[in-house]
Amino acid sequence: MQRIWLRGVAGIAAALAVGLVALTASGTLDATPDPATGLIAGASALAITIAIAILAGFLGYAALELLQTGRLDSIASQFGTRTLALMPIAIALNVVLGQTIGTALRMPIYLDSIGTILVGVLCGPLAGAATGILANVVWTFGLAGTPLGSPYAWPFAIVAAEIGLFAGLFGRAGFFRSRPDTPPDRLAAGAAVAVVVLAALAYLGILPAYLKGTLIDADLTTVEPFFIAVALGVAAGVAAAAVVLVVRLVRERDLGVAYVVVGGAACGVVSALIATPVAAIFFGGVTGGGTDLLVAAFQQAGSSLFEAVLQQSVISDPIDKTITFVVVFTILRSLPRRFVVRFPQGERALGEREG
Amino acid sequence: MLELEAVAYRYPGSARDALRGIDLRLKDGEVVGLVGPSEAGKSTLCLVASGLAPASIGGTLRGRLLIDGAPTTGHPSHVLGGRIGIVFADPASQRSGMTGTVLEEVALGPVNLGLSVEETLRRTRRALERTGLEALAGRDPGHLSGGEAQLLAISAVLAMEPRHLILDEPTSHLDAAAARRVGDVLRALATEGTSLLIAECRTDVLDGLCNRVVALDAGRMVLDGAARAVLADSSLLAIGVEPPARLRLEAALAERGLALPDGLVA
Amino acid sequence: MALDAIGRPGPSLYHRLNPLTKVASAAVATLGAFLIGGYVAPALLFAGLVLPGALVARLLRRVVRLSLLVSLLISVSVALVSVLTRAGATTLFTIGPFDATLEGVDFAGRVIVRLVVAAAALTLFGLTTEPRALVADLERRGASPRLTFALAATLDAIPRMIERAVVVAAAQRARGLDTEGRLLARLRGLVPLVGPVLLSSLAEVEQRSLALDARAFGRRGPRHPVWSPPDSDRQRAVRWLLVLGLTAILAGRAVGAVPELP
Repeated sequence: MQRIWLRGVAGIAAALAVGLVALTASGTLDATPDPATGLIAGASALAITIAIAILAGFLGYAALELLQTGRLDSIASQFGTRTLALMPIAIALNVVLGQTIGTALRMPIYLDSIGTILVGVLCGPLAGAATGILANVVWTFGLAGTPLGSPYAWPFAIVAAEIGLFAGLFGRAGFFRSRPDTPPDRLAAGAAVAVVVLAALAYLGILPAYLKGTLIDADLTTVEPFFIAVALGVAAGVAAAAVVLVVRLVRERDLGVAYVVVGGAACGVVSALIATPVAAIFFGGVTGGGTDLLVAAFQQAGSSLFEAVLQQSVISDPIDKTITFVVVFTILRSLPRRFVVRFPQGERALGEREG
Repeated sequence: MLELEAVAYRYPGSARDALRGIDLRLKDGEVVGLVGPSEAGKSTLCLVASGLAPASIGGTLRGRLLIDGAPTTGHPSHVLGGRIGIVFADPASQRSGMTGTVLEEVALGPVNLGLSVEETLRRTRRALERTGLEALAGRDPGHLSGGEAQLLAISAVLAMEPRHLILDEPTSHLDAAAARRVGDVLRALATEGTSLLIAECRTDVLDGLCNRVVALDAGRMVLDGAARAVLADSSLLAIGVEPPARLRLEAALAERGLALPDGLVA
Repeated sequence: MALDAIGRPGPSLYHRLNPLTKVASAAVATLGAFLIGGYVAPALLFAGLVLPGALVARLLRRVVRLSLLVSLLISVSVALVSVLTRAGATTLFTIGPFDATLEGVDFAGRVIVRLVVAAAALTLFGLTTEPRALVADLERRGASPRLTFALAATLDAIPRMIERAVVVAAAQRARGLDTEGRLLARLRGLVPLVGPVLLSSLAEVEQRSLALDARAFGRRGPRHPVWSPPDSDRQRAVRWLLVLGLTAILAGRAVGAVPELP
């Protein structure tokens, strides 16, 4: 236990330092859209800054670990043979489920990050991030010329990295732990917390995309009634999701579901923030899928391209990620325990159990 | 010589020992069969004897694994790979997936050991000869029949030139013809001087191949002796292991006062 | 012995290029098309990097056909979304509530051009390069065996998982899995589909990691693979030229030294 907390401090310090430098360098936290390019300079800069700062944090942690112990066990341990054996399966799962089963079930859900999340939870945040990056690289370069290949997957490697990272951190924190037979008072408290967090996510992360500001300080007179209607619809959707969550909690009495839903929603919101600049700048905001209709609708109603893409992804990404998180949670619950604990983070992910 | 001395092993997160009080010796050139009902610990014993447990899967090992008298504790699995090889039941999961030809697949082990290209090729050639796969050297490992795939797995391990080879139910995924082919290769290996430890549910494979047979039940060794004697032992049936067909036939004939003619059963 | 069994020589000079050269060409063309933008740059990249290779490899028809196919859906989307709904000053025509603007057409054009060029570059790469050859080349250059394993094993795992998924989907449907019907039913139908595919794959993961360990996979240190694709100094020079050239152009654009092309 060679002063691990020191490494944590180093990591946080590095992250803060780099974050501050990046923010000042990029100029502003300006929320006003740039009329010429349709970009909200602040939001994209913020998202990318956060991504770089987190990376710097890890580098800081690793640097100090290298200095202290002469090795990088925290990274290397995440990439043992077992992780390496899991990664190809996980990536194959991303590709296959993302393309095949999605269409078979005819749902607008992609599940193309299920493998990334699985590796993150079982093997650690860096393994998850690496899986996400590798998945997108293989999708573009490894499958080039085949029907499954996509020449347009590579810029989204950074989103995939973030998803794997989040899944790993949440897994480490025990968010994917099954908590069966939670006593009713804990269940109620947990449900309440989950609903509050979902509301906060909606308030801070989702609704501002339509109202150009949080509910309190948005000037609603400047907002088109269309967007107010959309915002109401989205708010209703979040409320409905919260209700479904509470119902499921009451029925199954497994508080783990609440953790996973909250984690998925949070991951989804951040994914939307990071993916939006990529989609807007590189691909004119579209993917070739059904969600492009939403982008069209928002743009027609007056949003700039960037705003429209953000408004679309802030609906679809949290839904996709929450569902994927729940699917991974359900799968983990049904896997034999002795199999899961052999992964580097398997024990942490599952938590203590009798015997 | 490979030796397990007072070995007990417990899987990670498990409440009970999977193996208890195991004393087993595998002399150079010996062929030892390992029988027992399912869940008796045969696979566990194979993993421990190869060093993969605990090096690869964790868990706690009590007692010692000794190679030529030297204990192996603390050696990472890749060091042991050069001395003890292990082949598993399912050929598909033993294929690395990273090679495009049988030749490269077999060469993977020596390459991992960091050997020179000449040495790697020499060992690969030899391993392919020993299993009779030279003609398939250019084939895609994913396009082999069950028997060929298992022979490939055996080749790939032989290329590392281990002194002891452990096989955990090598024929259980194969049809009868493929099983026979694998059995023939194992017989040839035995005559060349590699020691073999073969765990099997199908005692027929072990019949005529092994010098000694060890029986496991609930993690303990219950029988250990000459192959003929152990396979004919009545307590085998009691623990849930079916004796080889030949011996059952002999016993049935003997009850009626008849003897099994030589050469009737292969 | 059968060393010539591996690394079958390709049918054209372009096929026989070192895989790293081909991937560098595809990457520079793709990155350049996206990051430099406009019409001229992607067209030049296509003319300079994709067209000659496709001609030498006698794959021009196929490359064009496949790249148009791949980019079709997303291009249509771009066109519709940008032409009809993007705000602009000069209206060309009107369909119902939608104004098609010149700015929208221009924006769509720029995006589509880079989509097609990227698709062409990557298709050419995919059709002329054995993935395993690329992995073997990386291995020879000292890439971590973990990375090369992950890459190669992924490409191996994908077709096998597809087979599994198809089989499982059919089996589940035969057992009454609802693939039509209400949203909630379909959602609940996800897990019985994913579960078996994943479980059978994961069971293999366990075995495979043991088998890999048994073959000394975890050992660090130099490795001498049996075969790797040939390389030449000329190709090395070309690769450096491509990468440095692109970097220079992008850097020049960032500081304003290189003017923006239409």
